[in-house]
Amino acid sequence: MSLGGGAGGAPTAIDPKKLRLYGLVGSIVGIYLGAILNSALDTNLFSFIGAVAAIFAVLLGANSVRRICAYGIGTGVPSIGMLALGMGVIAMMFGLSIAEALGFGMLGPVIILVYAGVFGYIIGVIANKVIKFNIPVMEEGNADLSMAGALALLGWSFAISGTLGYADILNDVLKTGYIAIIFIAGGLAILHPFNANLGPDEKQDRTLVNAVMCSGIAMITTGIAALLTQGLAPGLLQLVIGFAIWYYFFRMYYRLVKRDAAAVVGTGLLPPTVQ
Amino acid sequence: MNGFDINTIIYLLEIIVGGLLVGIGVHFVPVGGAPAAMAQATGIGTGTVQLAAGSGLTGLLAAGLMMSVTDNLWLILASGAVGAGIMMGSTMLTGSWIYAYAVGVPFASAKVNYDPITGFSQPPYVAQGTVGQGIPTICFASGLIGGAMGGLGGAMIYYPLYLINGNAALSAVFAIGIFLVNAVLASWNIQGTIEGFHDPKFKKWPFAFRACTIASVLLAIAAVLITGGA
Repeated sequence: MSLGGGAGGAPTAIDPKKLRLYGLVGSIVGIYLGAILNSALDTNLFSFIGAVAAIFAVLLGANSVRRICAYGIGTGVPSIGMLALGMGVIAMMFGLSIAEALGFGMLGPVIILVYAGVFGYIIGVIANKVIKFNIPVMEEGNADLSMAGALALLGWSFAISGTLGYADILNDVLKTGYIAIIFIAGGLAILHPFNANLGPDEKQDRTLVNAVMCSGIAMITTGIAALLTQGLAPGLLQLVIGFAIWYYFFRMYYRLVKRDAAAVVGTGLLPPTVQ
Repeated sequence: MNGFDINTIIYLLEIIVGGLLVGIGVHFVPVGGAPAAMAQATGIGTGTVQLAAGSGLTGLLAAGLMMSVTDNLWLILASGAVGAGIMMGSTMLTGSWIYAYAVGVPFASAKVNYDPITGFSQPPYVAQGTVGQGIPTICFASGLIGGAMGGLGGAMIYYPLYLINGNAALSAVFAIGIFLVNAVLASWNIQGTIEGFHDPKFKKWPFAFRACTIASVLLAIAAVLITGGA
């Protein structure tokens, strides 16, 4: 596994600690920025910032999937992505509910972050100590995953509902069933990059670019949901930005695939078979 | 939440037992993963989490449907278990048709010499270089038990959640979260593939039991604290 990144024209891998900082700060600041702009200007136009903030969380999640799964977990990469989203959705609802009960709706993301981090770390300890995985990065990797899953889901939920209010998210995201869409789109963004790129020539930049690309797809889906929950302007804005992100990073991903491939050749049409 | 009373403890216990049923139920399901998809191993050709999530979600739906007509706990649990069992059974049945008529492999288990249910000899039918193919009778029986346990667990998680917060959507999503955490921990314990309760790997279940207990306790505490919103 080329966990160090490096060779073959790829830039050196970003340090996981640095990436964690970017991921957490980026998503928390983004979600708060969107929430404050939306409520201060009394509009829904800034809901798209939630989906942009989710990209930072997805980067963190995709990188920790990459770190853990490089050791081989025997059950396939999707299992850990589903674990991330499972832990994430619990942390999200728990944090929002507790913040609402305490009377500080805006405290939600912080409570989510703390609960997700602690719970993820404990799951990592269980995996190593009880199930005897003995993967050195399991604890911090699972804490990262749990926080990434929770913040990504929160970002997308905010993008759909336009507020951080618990009751609004319950009505706009859970009751409508959009949670299922962001659950799977989010799973795709977090688990798919490593699943698609794994192998001895896996490079961090290619995997992470793939993650951003999938986040663009998730943003398109939240845009469609936002069309129905918030109206034309905020929904369309998300759709367009999501499509732009997807298109830009798809091109970039294709370029990186060509960079890392031994050769890219066109096969043309299949030759006619001779019976 | 309306204060801490005896009901809260019962809810906690129900969620924990539900989580454990999911975790143990996963061990019964014949999960073959990618090798089974290529008919090189016994079981259903997909991952543990997908199968566990499938049976659990069907259990949730069946339990939720029953809950809309009655609030009898036993009927709801039975509905969840039967619903998930049917889901797992139909998955294995249609999978078997593909293995038998499309892939064309004889069903054989590589973990036992004689099928404990039918008594048929297995080793002559295991192709060289594989660890069995298809879904032999014993795996099918084990899978039905696993599916029913998963559905029972799903219903057992959903029922107290719904009583706590009274919000069906929230309860379902939260139950899915609890379900996935337990299913993934269990699937990590079996390291990807298992044939059923006759598989030597099944003896590892106490590890999953311990892991799922710790995880379920933490999840249950979070679950009883949340409210259904305005």
